Amino acid sequence: MSGHYGQFDIRWGMVIDLDKCTGCGACMVACQAENNVAIQTDASNKRLVTNWMLVFELSNGKSFPDHEVAYLPRPCMHCGNPSCVAVCPATVTTKDEEGGIVSQIYPRCFGCRYCMASCPYHARYFNWYDPVWPEGMEKTLSPDVSVRPRGVVEKCHFCHHRWMQAKDKARVAGEDPKALPQEAYQTACTQACPNGAITFGDLNNPEHTVHELAHSEYAFRLLERLGTEPQVYYMSRREWVRRAGDNYLADEKTGSVKNEHHS
Amino acid sequence: MSTIPSKPFDQALFPDGGPRCGLLKFVLWLGFLGLIFAWGGYAMGRIFFYGIGETALDNYFGFGLWITFDLAVIALGAGAFFTGLLRYILNIDPLKNIINLTVIVGFICYSGAMLVLGLDVGQPLRSWFGFWHANVHSMLVEVMFCITCYLMVLAIEFIPLVLENRQLDKIRLIHRISHNFHVFMPLFAGIGAFLSTFHQGSLGGMYGVLFGRPFAFREGFFIWPWTFFLFVLSAVGSGPVFTVLICGIIEKVSGRKLVDFKIKALMGKIAGTMLTIYIVFKIIDTWAWANGYLPSVGLTFDQMYNDVYGTWLLWAEIGVCGVLPAIMLMTPSLRNNPTLLYTAAILDCTGVTINRFVFTVQALAIPVMPFDQWYSYTPNWAEWAPTFLVLAYGALVISLSYRYLPVFPQEKKLNA
Amino acid sequence: MGIDRRSFISFLAGGAVGTLVTPIPWKLTDDISIWTQNWSWIPKNPEGASEYVPTVSKLCPSGCPVRVRTVGGKPVGVRGNAEHPYSRGGVTPLAAAEAELLYSPARVRRPLRRTPDQAYVAISWDEALAILEEKLGAIKGYRGKLAMVSGDPDGTINEVFSAFLAKAGSADFYLMPGEAQVAAKAWNDVMGGQGAVGYDIGNSDMVLAVGADVLESWGQVVRNRKAFADKRPHGEKPKAKYVYAGPVQNNTAAGADAWVPINPGTEAAFLLGLTYQVLKEGFRVDAAPDFDEFKTFVMSNFAPQNVQRVTGVAATTLVAVAKDLLRASAPLIVTGSEFGQGGGGAAMVAGLALNLMLGGLNRKGGLQALPDMPQVVSGAKDAKGLRSADLVAYLADVDKGRTPLPEAMLFYEANAAYGLPEASKAAATLAKVPFKASFSVFFDETAAMSDLVLPVPLGMERWDDICTPYGSGEVNYQLARQVIEPVFEAVNAGDVFLALAAKLGMSLGYSSFRQVLEAKASAIGADLDALQEGKPFTAPAKVTQYALRMNPGVLAKAIKDADKGGDIALAPVFYLRTGTGSTAVPPFNLKTIRDTELLGKESFVQLNAATAGKLGLREGDRVSLSNEAGTCAARVHINEGVMTDAVAALLGFGHTAFDAYSQGKGDNVAKVMKTRFEPGTGIPVWAGAKVKIAKI
Repeated sequence: MSGHYGQFDIRWGMVIDLDKCTGCGACMVACQAENNVAIQTDASNKRLVTNWMLVFELSNGKSFPDHEVAYLPRPCMHCGNPSCVAVCPATVTTKDEEGGIVSQIYPRCFGCRYCMASCPYHARYFNWYDPVWPEGMEKTLSPDVSVRPRGVVEKCHFCHHRWMQAKDKARVAGEDPKALPQEAYQTACTQACPNGAITFGDLNNPEHTVHELAHSEYAFRLLERLGTEPQVYYMSRREWVRRAGDNYLADEKTGSVKNEHHS
Repeated sequence: MSTIPSKPFDQALFPDGGPRCGLLKFVLWLGFLGLIFAWGGYAMGRIFFYGIGETALDNYFGFGLWITFDLAVIALGAGAFFTGLLRYILNIDPLKNIINLTVIVGFICYSGAMLVLGLDVGQPLRSWFGFWHANVHSMLVEVMFCITCYLMVLAIEFIPLVLENRQLDKIRLIHRISHNFHVFMPLFAGIGAFLSTFHQGSLGGMYGVLFGRPFAFREGFFIWPWTFFLFVLSAVGSGPVFTVLICGIIEKVSGRKLVDFKIKALMGKIAGTMLTIYIVFKIIDTWAWANGYLPSVGLTFDQMYNDVYGTWLLWAEIGVCGVLPAIMLMTPSLRNNPTLLYTAAILDCTGVTINRFVFTVQALAIPVMPFDQWYSYTPNWAEWAPTFLVLAYGALVISLSYRYLPVFPQEKKLNA
Repeated sequence: MGIDRRSFISFLAGGAVGTLVTPIPWKLTDDISIWTQNWSWIPKNPEGASEYVPTVSKLCPSGCPVRVRTVGGKPVGVRGNAEHPYSRGGVTPLAAAEAELLYSPARVRRPLRRTPDQAYVAISWDEALAILEEKLGAIKGYRGKLAMVSGDPDGTINEVFSAFLAKAGSADFYLMPGEAQVAAKAWNDVMGGQGAVGYDIGNSDMVLAVGADVLESWGQVVRNRKAFADKRPHGEKPKAKYVYAGPVQNNTAAGADAWVPINPGTEAAFLLGLTYQVLKEGFRVDAAPDFDEFKTFVMSNFAPQNVQRVTGVAATTLVAVAKDLLRASAPLIVTGSEFGQGGGGAAMVAGLALNLMLGGLNRKGGLQALPDMPQVVSGAKDAKGLRSADLVAYLADVDKGRTPLPEAMLFYEANAAYGLPEASKAAATLAKVPFKASFSVFFDETAAMSDLVLPVPLGMERWDDICTPYGSGEVNYQLARQVIEPVFEAVNAGDVFLALAAKLGMSLGYSSFRQVLEAKASAIGADLDALQEGKPFTAPAKVTQYALRMNPGVLAKAIKDADKGGDIALAPVFYLRTGTGSTAVPPFNLKTIRDTELLGKESFVQLNAATAGKLGLREGDRVSLSNEAGTCAARVHINEGVMTDAVAALLGFGHTAFDAYSQGKGDNVAKVMKTRFEPGTGIPVWAGAKVKIAKI
């Protein structure tokens, strides 16, 4: 199905260095503030909590004292072959814009949740209720991202509005909006991370750091074998962490079977 | 609703076939259904007013009881199109004695499913966006178009039956209209068969294309994953006997013979044939999935099941509720025994329901990311109430139809 | 009237087409699509020009540099400040949530007075000041009648408070407990060091964090983490080694190259075990006349097998860590408590001594002795005096009757009723104080027991500053800039105290707190304009040491400190994402709390399977943690990243005040932080408290 989505000159992507992430949660908070994600009074039923960016806790599965821990921030993977785009009945979520960001058009979504069923990363969230802010708090909403009502699905969009702003800025400055320098467009989570664990840029552009990092021997993508071709890469020098990124049969070597299956 | 000697007040509206129960008794029955309507209506009210958060659905289980219910009733409602196909296109004449009931059951199933879908989507006022902004690649669009169109077809098939009410039929214009409907019935049956086959398939396709969900994903033929065909086959392998079950229930409740057992056995044979074909392919499909597809993405069969969603579901679906009823329905001596026919029918319908359940719920319960975890889903009252409302709605439509419409051509003869 | 086939079809088709050519369906669908995008109850985005105002977070204890984004002059978010040399755009999860807290339901919106029936009524600032004037006027000049607690660890505002108290005749001005006090006692009192303790993490190539959660909550944490990030190029061998020693595999352990699990409260033994290895290599501290005595003490008591028995660290591990330290060109040992408070003096002394031995004093990437900044409010306690005043010791004395109960107590952003060790007991002691006034942004537990609650502006609503926060490797000063006028009737407490002082006839020499800040900038020679643009002022000055002591006599006594109250050692964990005692959990941050940390109204404690097995506990069991100090309820989560015989427990739960986002969620682990006084140093210690765990 990858043929549907064409080739893009620009492919916005991330490389998240799991050896640098210490799981503080700054990316999660920065994302919520940037994107007006609704707050919830009880956020402990994780299946009802909206987190465009979610930090998973990974364990090497060993007992004390051999236990190791790693943290895995999970935005939308902006798959090269997204499972969600094809299934959406109302063309709400598309991958048709230069940059390869998988869009989500809230005013068009009627909330069938088929996309959520399709996404193995649980990157998509449904508004089970209307968002409610305590009196006055709505005044601190960001101007860039519209507030979603109940009944629609939402997800990470790589701070798409920042890209729009960066392109506008480049145009005004007489620069090529299709050749943005890396720092011109960065997501909120990338900037917030005090450990520099997240790197964001154009995977196709050799001048952007992600281009090189994505080719690292330690780079991997989540569930690559399903054929989703994410534009989000991870990297770790720890083998058990890389192995946690995909499903492997007991006798298979980590990273040995990349994208074997194409749907 | 046994017959009582005194003539009910509304007896002028009864079909020319037999007596019906007293009006008071009927009104009491409607009152009972009304209670369920009130309960379901309350839940629906809350859901429309506050949001779907009132249910037990969540971001892991975006699909749950309602989608399972929809898929199950749509499969079981397949008796309508398949019997229509056999009756009008292939001219299997004896089926005319049960065709009306299949249409009513089909109509209930599809309209009920639509009702639940209206509740299930987050912004029901926008649900027509699926037509307006249709994404041709989406199996769900195919489903939406086919279901909507097919519901219209079912309505068209149902209308002449309504118009044949003894009093309505006396009006010349209405008589003419219903006559014209009848003339076009093979055409509608044909359209219905086409539409229904497609969306039964598309419902299967909906799951089969989910390449992010290894439990549901299937390779296939051209754009159609194998589940497309399996869902069609399982629907036609169960829909006809579901109609037989409904017929049996009406007979039991009314105490009157309505359809000749031979017709029911014929329906059983038809379903059994399709079920047999289905179950053979289903077993092949499951085998290929477990031994071919799953290992290719680094997964094992065991990883697809846990303590809650155990392999017992698979054995129940394919064995007890698949192979067993197939054998029972294909063996004339068993099929011709009413108790065994009904037993086989129940197993068959249960099997297809389990199938729709596992594809809807279990597929979502399985952790796909290795560091994710299993979750379970239990529907809450706010999901059950509207579901029962739809069942009550079905009971209402059947009750009214039975009472006032000439549904069963054989009724007079069989009870003479 | 006849109907033929043709007219029948015409009827159907005509009806359908006829409806479609009317505007009805089209208008209706168009309306619906517009309508469903504009529900009146869904807030609209603000409009206006965006500005990014640089400042530092006074909300986050790390003093994170930030830029507040305003739209039409109103804050809509907090981002990191990419131009700031410390944070380079990074931001803590707490600082990032400040904008939404402007309108937190927990904010104190106007001055409140508690009525005899325990209700709070709104009063004017004039009335509030009149009450304060009356209460404080009556006790002015009497020693021991007035005490104050400040929750600001490093602001010049403490000078205003302490000068005010001094003029009112009170010496009882205290800071909420933190790492700085322990370090000061160890360095200044026990070791005879001069200046304040600092750590140059950025230039170290081997950071051994003992207890100190340097990558999560310790010191100027974003700065630490940027230093960590710099030394770890993607996919390459790290350029600096990070080792974390502590009972819990916390976030620092997650980022470190190695986690060395040690029993809670045994940091000193671990460090002296390392010292043993270093001493074997002939390292010494010439500036300390009692070094040989110290050496004998270590060599005779901290052989690896002894250390292993106490700390649980295998001899091989100990030797390996020591080798790493010896191999490094700029090794640095950062000692602290895992949760930023209550650590022991012995561990601190041992850590400082090891740094000295490795030649780390005032060396790049080593331990720094930093000069204190000049005071600008006359009569204020000096920095050293501030650090050495101990609130926990004071309250213990009050409790035991050794010190008279004050008649009035003032709190500034200090949630003493929630955040002090033995929280229930501390709250009970505070409850006895006849008059309490809390200057607070939020209606916290301390406000909820105060007679007067006075709203303080949120960080971004006020002018404030940060003077060399604990943990930084050099003298630095930053200005917190007011971004907007307070959205409620909050007034800078500095201004309130200056006004109150004037009313009480004891002028502090300034008419506004802004002037105090300007005086401070001027006193240290900082450029006010640069400060207002969010640039930090730094000074390279270091304090040279003359007469250091290793003080093995004190160490020998202090090392014996251990709580014997139970079988399981409590290992509290402090994440910035769950807020502090005075912020509670901001709404955004609730989502960062895992369901193995908080589920519904219940918080979790974490044990490894071996410990749980011993106690007969399983995942999800409800338990109580108890000791003489109190009881804390929790559920069990099995985590193999916790030392055997230790129980990890998150700080930040169990609030009874604040708002729906924090109130009633979980239990407060501070209730079982049993305090003991370390022999030799006399420092109150509550790290390594023991608890009994029972299933309930």
